[in-house]
Amino acid sequence: MLWLQLALTGLQVGAVYALTAVGFSLIFGSTRIFHFAHGATFVLAAYVFYWAYQAGLPAPLGILAAAVAAVALGVTMDRLVYAPIQRHEGSFFTVFVASFGVGIAVQNIVGMVFGRSFVTVTTELSRSVKILDGVYVSPLAWIAVACAALFFVGLQWFLRRTHVGMALRALSDSPELIRAYGLDPRRLSTYAFALGSVLVVPGAIITAATSGLNPALGHHVMLISLAATIVGGIGSIGGALAAGFLLGLAESLALIVFESQWTEAVTFAILFLFILLRPAGLFGRAATS
Amino acid sequence: MAAYLLNLGVLISIYSILAITLNFIMGYAGIYSLAHAVFFGVGAYAGALAAMHLSASIFVTVPVAMACAAVLSLALALPALRVRGEYFVAASLGLQVLAVTIFAEWKSVTGGIGGLIGIPPVDLFGQAVYRPASFFPLSLAVLAIVIVVTRLLVRSSFGRNLTAIRDSESAAASFGKNVPLIKTISVVISAALAAVAGTLYAGYLSFINVESFMLDTSVLVMAMVIIGGTGTSWGPILGAAILLLLPGLLSYLSFLPPTEIGAIQQTLYGLGMAILMIFRPGGLVGRGKARETKSAAKVAVGQKPPAVEAKAEGAR
Repeated sequence: MLWLQLALTGLQVGAVYALTAVGFSLIFGSTRIFHFAHGATFVLAAYVFYWAYQAGLPAPLGILAAAVAAVALGVTMDRLVYAPIQRHEGSFFTVFVASFGVGIAVQNIVGMVFGRSFVTVTTELSRSVKILDGVYVSPLAWIAVACAALFFVGLQWFLRRTHVGMALRALSDSPELIRAYGLDPRRLSTYAFALGSVLVVPGAIITAATSGLNPALGHHVMLISLAATIVGGIGSIGGALAAGFLLGLAESLALIVFESQWTEAVTFAILFLFILLRPAGLFGRAATS
Repeated sequence: MAAYLLNLGVLISIYSILAITLNFIMGYAGIYSLAHAVFFGVGAYAGALAAMHLSASIFVTVPVAMACAAVLSLALALPALRVRGEYFVAASLGLQVLAVTIFAEWKSVTGGIGGLIGIPPVDLFGQAVYRPASFFPLSLAVLAIVIVVTRLLVRSSFGRNLTAIRDSESAAASFGKNVPLIKTISVVISAALAAVAGTLYAGYLSFINVESFMLDTSVLVMAMVIIGGTGTSWGPILGAAILLLLPGLLSYLSFLPPTEIGAIQQTLYGLGMAILMIFRPGGLVGRGKARETKSAAKVAVGQKPPAVEAKAEGAR
């Protein structure tokens, strides 16, 4: 039954990874901004929720506060950091370095405010329930998977049916046409950041309530998001979702063979195999340059 | 006081070597690596083990360390450099994370979390060099050699090939340059020279453990290059000096809690990197506007996305 237990844990971890990676992939796919501070957004949202929990606020208020903090950080970065850089040149690496710098600063400020040790939020929902002999699952695992499904379907509906969503997809295809059509790529970029950042919130809260938080988590989250974006195929949101689940499951199932400190090595091995054998990713489009 | 300054001088020289070698691939080849501390670490462990079991002579430890780092960097570069920048950033981040686990877990070789202790001092022509007063000139001499080697490389035809690739990969390829090969060689050179810094570091401290070779170190070295000036000759050294002097200066400000100095330092250089990118992407030494990365990969909204080309390359 060990494998079933690990597979279920893997699904829960995978759901968190999937949502976070979809957020990164949405931002990177539509704006081509390499938003390395996405991991910092995750950490900030998680710690704001933790703060609200410590302050005794009701959970919905905590969730709202986390969402506001995540969107605020994403949109502020877009407006104050990326927009000025893009105005004068905007090469991939300049944007990456700036994003990276802000990510380090946010991580350390969070560390100074909340301390650098592990913290967790304990709720009724994080207690595991026995579903079979030797198989325990907390209700949060189901919530995580449901959240991933719900947010993904919602996002697909938004991208296909609403005006802004369609414009975002068009932006990833051709910014010139977006401008010719009379839309402002910068405004759309802000929408992409708001959406992409809010997608980290469920994962951040579930992580806070299950495996716990520490400010250095941002780098791990970033490695996973990057790996999932590449494994799924750059620009493919469905790919990022599938790859997020794949990485979560692989990490968890690897525990059958390896000890827990090797989980990141498994992620790295999968990423490397994809770069080596299939750089276009699972669902990458074979675009012509 | 003199000992303190000499110690600082040794550390600045060692980190300058790291910053110069990272700048060699970042500034001239346009390859951004988050794994530089891995090669620093491999150099330190390999140099230390060679000194403990073979000979402490610098003419034994340094070649061993360089060879180990070069082989490992080949394993990273060969697959990752066939594709574009984003992939290398991701792969190097993954390697860094993996290497920390290996440094901490491979107890029979690296000593685990406890690290290696009792590393013999660097031996130069039969003389053990360990006092800061004698080690400082040695580290300066090595730094000078690294500066000369990298400048010669940058000015050679190999260096011109690198700059050509950085400015336009497709243009360089259409001139018949073997782009992946040239990039791979540059990564191997950079890693091997970073290992020299690692060997010096291990011999100087006579103790190493995983904490010196974590992602924080990779980030710190990248910050040195960027703040000093990517693609400039003196920028990385200036960056190394500034960032290593910063903790000392911060500790003079008595109102800062001493336990938070590290975090405050990281926050400052994080924000420094972001602000420089907005106002002065060339760094402190570089020109006002970045000329080096301008055409490397235009990703601005409104430019042709490079990832499309990456996918095209991958799909082939």
